[in-house]
Amino acid sequence: MILINIDSLSTTELQYIAQQEQLDDWKSLDREELIDALEEAFGEQDDEVTSAQKGKVHRNRYCNSLTDYRGDQQKVNDLPGVEQLPENYLDTSIHLLQRDPQWAYAYWSLSTASQLMVFGEDGQQPSTLFLRVQQSNLSDGTVKTFDIEVSVSDHQWNINLPDTGCSYLVDLCWRDKKGNEMSLAQSKSIETYPAYWQEHLDDLIEDRDLYLTHFSALVTKEGDIVDNAVIRDLAQHLSKGVL
Amino acid sequence: MSCNPSIALILNAHLPFVRHPEYPKFLEEDWLFESISESYLPLLRMFNRLKSDKIPFKMTISLSPTLCCMLTDSVLQERFIQFMERHIELGEKEVERCTKEQPEFLEMAQFYLDQSRQNLSDYQDKYHNNILEGFKVLETSGHLELATTAATHAYLPLYKDYPTAINAQVELGVQSFLTTFGHLPKGFWLPECGYYPELEDTLKYHGISWFQTASQSMLLSPDKVEYGTYRPVHCPNGVAAFPRDFQATSLVWSNATGYPADKNYREFYRDIGYDLPMEYIKEYIHEPSVRVFTGYKYWAITGQTDQKVPYQRDKAQKRIAEHAENFLYNLQKKAESLEKTMHKAPLFTMGYDAELFGHWWFEGIDWLEQVIRQSAEKGMNSFVSPSTFLNKEGSTLQTARPAFSSWGQGGYSAVWLDGSNAWSYQHIHKAIERMEELSVRFSDQISLKQRFLNQAAREVLLAMASDWPFILFNKSSTEYAQKRIGDHLKNFNVVYQNMCKNAVNTEWLVKAEKRDIIFSDIDYNIFNPER
Repeated sequence: MILINIDSLSTTELQYIAQQEQLDDWKSLDREELIDALEEAFGEQDDEVTSAQKGKVHRNRYCNSLTDYRGDQQKVNDLPGVEQLPENYLDTSIHLLQRDPQWAYAYWSLSTASQLMVFGEDGQQPSTLFLRVQQSNLSDGTVKTFDIEVSVSDHQWNINLPDTGCSYLVDLCWRDKKGNEMSLAQSKSIETYPAYWQEHLDDLIEDRDLYLTHFSALVTKEGDIVDNAVIRDLAQHLSKGVL
Repeated sequence: MSCNPSIALILNAHLPFVRHPEYPKFLEEDWLFESISESYLPLLRMFNRLKSDKIPFKMTISLSPTLCCMLTDSVLQERFIQFMERHIELGEKEVERCTKEQPEFLEMAQFYLDQSRQNLSDYQDKYHNNILEGFKVLETSGHLELATTAATHAYLPLYKDYPTAINAQVELGVQSFLTTFGHLPKGFWLPECGYYPELEDTLKYHGISWFQTASQSMLLSPDKVEYGTYRPVHCPNGVAAFPRDFQATSLVWSNATGYPADKNYREFYRDIGYDLPMEYIKEYIHEPSVRVFTGYKYWAITGQTDQKVPYQRDKAQKRIAEHAENFLYNLQKKAESLEKTMHKAPLFTMGYDAELFGHWWFEGIDWLEQVIRQSAEKGMNSFVSPSTFLNKEGSTLQTARPAFSSWGQGGYSAVWLDGSNAWSYQHIHKAIERMEELSVRFSDQISLKQRFLNQAAREVLLAMASDWPFILFNKSSTEYAQKRIGDHLKNFNVVYQNMCKNAVNTEWLVKAEKRDIIFSDIDYNIFNPER
């Protein structure tokens, strides 16, 4: 959202948030120390985000902490007859969700029968579980595969998608001690399409009108590019590394 | 003016379904009450002022089914009245306190009090507790195009492997609109601008003519899009995609350099709910002593400092007029340069959350009004809705495929699929699979079993709302969001497990129907993949 800035908060507000966030020494901290402590408390962020993005994420959180903090007194009760959600479901399946053109997220489960087959009744059978990622080129149909070894306790994995213009699917596979391999489940496929202008960058570089029409809408008046890795790459190429 | 840009302003009015009649007061219900009092009612007043002054304008508003359900719910309507009455009582106390102790804040205290009284009067006397009537009248008069969105505002790309769930989200979004407004919608707001290729097929099936997409959906298209984000395109199936203009949107949306960051504007984060002594404010915050925003805010943004200066309305009003002029100037200049290269007038499509105006950006509604009035004074007559644009220029649009995209951080699905919320999908997907199974195994049930299965369908849909993963990602009201996802899924499992035993848990059913009342005429067979 907008106008979110920790520096704008009063010291009373900062103390209040620090108290809600259970910072031990909030009473003894001065204003600057409170800001530092809160930034640290809220700062355990995904390493993938850039520092500029982190700043935005922090400010969003302060906003929402202030707006939405509900305290511990008011709980929503369960309706009669409900039970806790299972940690996993007892069927053998794998699902693939596309996060962006470079990454997908897979989650899977193993039925009791599959577990018995793979690891034996005592769970000690020496077997290996792995994910086999199948990458099919959408234009020429060539297929490549790569494997990711996972442990029996894993149920999810972030999978890198190395190339665009490909279809990806994942098999949940099992290898026995003799090296025999078998697919237990297969996900549906996801597709990554190459952008036309990624493959025709020279046209954009050479034609100012094309650039104005296609690219300028994605840059603010201050020169900030829309938050997107592919567009940032395009911008790097277009500016020959200046941006 | 030498060039007349077309401007399509689309507001997305949406809140998640939050309704807890089992509690006398519930903190998250304030999201709705604040949005009604600070955004929706003032927006309606602004539109009606323009209308009575015969200022031409056209704007598009998507009203989500969850929001429409809450706005027409008698429990929440009654609670909103109580909310406003408390607000007015606080305002009266504030006027008295400021008169004696802080006269520099008196003007704003009186302003808030007057606005609250006006809100309550409009709500009860003009709209008879149902403000959707106000939007309907403006649609009939041709000033607004109303659009719908997904049933519970699900982020659709993460459900693309479940066509029945996608269909249910779209179909119920359309049905809910039909029930509320008496006709079918032409436009469909894609929640979070979340688009994946071929989503338009489901939209077309339900009679939708247009939807909006994220800015980068055109530059990243696999096709050679001719005009970037400055013209909509027809998808191969004929449904039109309107890409947001990031640059123009950022004039308003940027939290660092957008107009709302002006130092003369009101500071959102300084509120008497936090600033005044507990003894004074405790009746107007949440029990027991949970400080919250009250809406009484007296400081200007001033700068990145806690040494704020008192807010002065006259200074802010001056800046509003300047910012409106600057906005139109920027669009006009851009349109002039684009027209030379495009040989067509560009269309600037801008999409915002409706709650940005009034709630987050206090001056936002006045700014919108100024933009429209100044545009009329300059003879620009620029405002179009997607449908009016299509009526005029639909036959000239290029056919192209938008790219997978969203308006979230990173431009894809990272916000709704990260370490904080990815756990939920195995459960929600499983619930969808099981709902499909139940719909096939127990199709066309009547009486109690039908009600039981209908409630299961409601629970699945409510678990799919994009709001919960977003809140988990932002680490704001995480406890509540986590509880809501878990509750809907656990509720669904009650039905699944009972139906597998050919039983109905009537105690659960009666309570669940009272709590999650949305989509009163839902038919669970909507999840039957064989239909």
